[in-house]
Amino acid sequence: MSALDQAPPQGGGVGLQRPTTHGPAGADGTAASREVSRPAGAGGVGQAGLAGAAQAPTGRGRRPALLKGLRALNSGWRAADWVAAGVLVLLLAALLVPGLLTPYDPLVADESQILAGPSAAHWFGTDYLGRDLLSRIIHGTGRTLLGSAVAVLVGLGVGTLLGTLAATLGGTVDALISRVVDALLAIPGLLLAMVVVVSLGFGSLNAAIAVGISSVATFTRLMRSEVLTVRNLTFVEASRHIGGSPARVLWRHIVPNSFTAVLSLASLHFGTAILWISALSFLGYGAPPPQPEWGLLVSEGRQYIATTPWLVVIPSLAIGMTVWAVNRLSHTASAGRNHV
Amino acid sequence: MFSLRYVARRMAQSILVIFIVYALTFFALFVLPGDPVDNKINNPVSPLPQETADGLRAYYQVDQPLYVQFFLHLGRLLRGDLGFSLTNGKPVSELVSQALAQTLPLAGLAFALTVLLAFAIALTAVFAPVAWLRELAKAVPVVSISTPSFLLSYVLVVVFSFRLGWVSSIQDEGFKSLILPAITLACGAAGALSQVLIRGLQKAAGEPFVTVLVAKGVPSSRIVLGHVLKNGSIPALTLLALTVGELLAGSVIVETVFNRTGLGYFTYASVRDQDTPTIEAIVLIVAVVYLSVNLVADLLYAALDPRILAHEAATRAPSKRRLGGRIKGIKEEVAA
Repeated sequence: MSALDQAPPQGGGVGLQRPTTHGPAGADGTAASREVSRPAGAGGVGQAGLAGAAQAPTGRGRRPALLKGLRALNSGWRAADWVAAGVLVLLLAALLVPGLLTPYDPLVADESQILAGPSAAHWFGTDYLGRDLLSRIIHGTGRTLLGSAVAVLVGLGVGTLLGTLAATLGGTVDALISRVVDALLAIPGLLLAMVVVVSLGFGSLNAAIAVGISSVATFTRLMRSEVLTVRNLTFVEASRHIGGSPARVLWRHIVPNSFTAVLSLASLHFGTAILWISALSFLGYGAPPPQPEWGLLVSEGRQYIATTPWLVVIPSLAIGMTVWAVNRLSHTASAGRNHV
Repeated sequence: MFSLRYVARRMAQSILVIFIVYALTFFALFVLPGDPVDNKINNPVSPLPQETADGLRAYYQVDQPLYVQFFLHLGRLLRGDLGFSLTNGKPVSELVSQALAQTLPLAGLAFALTVLLAFAIALTAVFAPVAWLRELAKAVPVVSISTPSFLLSYVLVVVFSFRLGWVSSIQDEGFKSLILPAITLACGAAGALSQVLIRGLQKAAGEPFVTVLVAKGVPSSRIVLGHVLKNGSIPALTLLALTVGELLAGSVIVETVFNRTGLGYFTYASVRDQDTPTIEAIVLIVAVVYLSVNLVADLLYAALDPRILAHEAATRAPSKRRLGGRIKGIKEEVAA
């Protein structure tokens, strides 16, 4: 996870003699001094590299003109990014208008079609009750994506709050929050989510909240170090000198400028949240049957793995494709942002 | 090398963190409505024999307030007593060591495969002679991180157990049964590691010393394998603990799929049965492993690249002459 947290830019082809200007290597020690390596100044990569390196020595181009931003984003896109965007469009359609994509009801069983293989009528086959698998995947999209959204919002919200508190109040509060963050980071995310879900009780919303809580530490750590960096920049000092109250400086200047890195972490966490929530429901701690949740679909197909492996493989592929599309685009976007 | 004081400080920090981990899990698990221990013992679905239930109730002192129970647990933990499972009344330490004996060989093999795979991906991504191969290898880490582990597990089971019949999917066949789960775990864990390796190798390949080596006429294979690889893989050490943690937590899914009764399956069953003392012990053990590996990795990191420790010390106390001398030494080294 942590390698992702540091949002590495997608590097260009690097030969032996070609120097690169990557940020300091990422680290995951508990030592505060090497907490976050911002993908700053990762110019010299891709087509927009030369212009980007000259314009963005700090990698912090705030609110660029939309057109310029889009063009820069566009120039770095490869075929895989277009595929990822296509996957996201499909997901959006499945989220908003699932009924238009499939004629079948995800919950209605058809006794004449039990465990039927993929065919023209049922593209992905049917499950042990004769329910159409494609329809169950499409109708499960909303639940899966909303669950991840809840998880990210919990992590982002609590993490931003705790990180800002730790960085601005300092002293005992900072020490306390930092030690708790250290402790939470010492437990692997999926295991922590399992502990929380035992405490909250099983269910799809609780699984989402548990995954959110297990990512709070990463967000807190990043927000804390961002606020500590931004707070010492000259423009913040200037606005303090011209008489801005501490609260105003914090709210208008420090938080918005610290938030970009945290948001790009959030987009990466969205993918992880999908994986962890589906892992929890695969193990039976999440959505109860007969809900068409993706992890649960995999779990339901398990018993028939020997005869009808597609019941397991296709929903797993849906999860993998979705997470890949989200990760791929958030990498490209964070690389693109550094060029602007 | 680093001072003894630095090591002692890091160890004290780790012990504090372990204590917080223990307290956090205790209160997270015991804050449940009603007493989880009592609830579990009285569970009508799977009744325990009366004497076991009475013994457990007396042992956990469920009628005492929460903080008394916390210090009771803590005191027992310090004496090495992890308590008794609520599902069968057996000592947790016995159950955990049985599970660990199953998981350690798996995790060890998976770790070796992870390192091999990550180096293979990173070397291809940075130094492959053809551009499309580099691009392909660079896309691999994201795919690896995005793949749910049950997808790969089941594909391997279907292909190698059902279609080809090389490995039994039910029977334990010793080392042969380790291979498929280890491959699954390694493919998941290699993603993050190879990403850091790619960045490290790219950075090392751009360092001035490479230009000097090229100018001296050193063959590029020796530059890559002898110099760039050594310098570029040091940052990956920081991911060591994370990788080990990921292998241990990832084993929950993988062991469930491959029907192994290791730590992962044990975790799955304890969470399913809400066996709180067992869950607590598992979290504690995983955190201790994580923090120990992290500590070793940090010390190794500092030993392999003394600039890090010097930098840390310099930001802490820049006035000390001793440190100043050390930094000067590094600057000379860098300049040379």
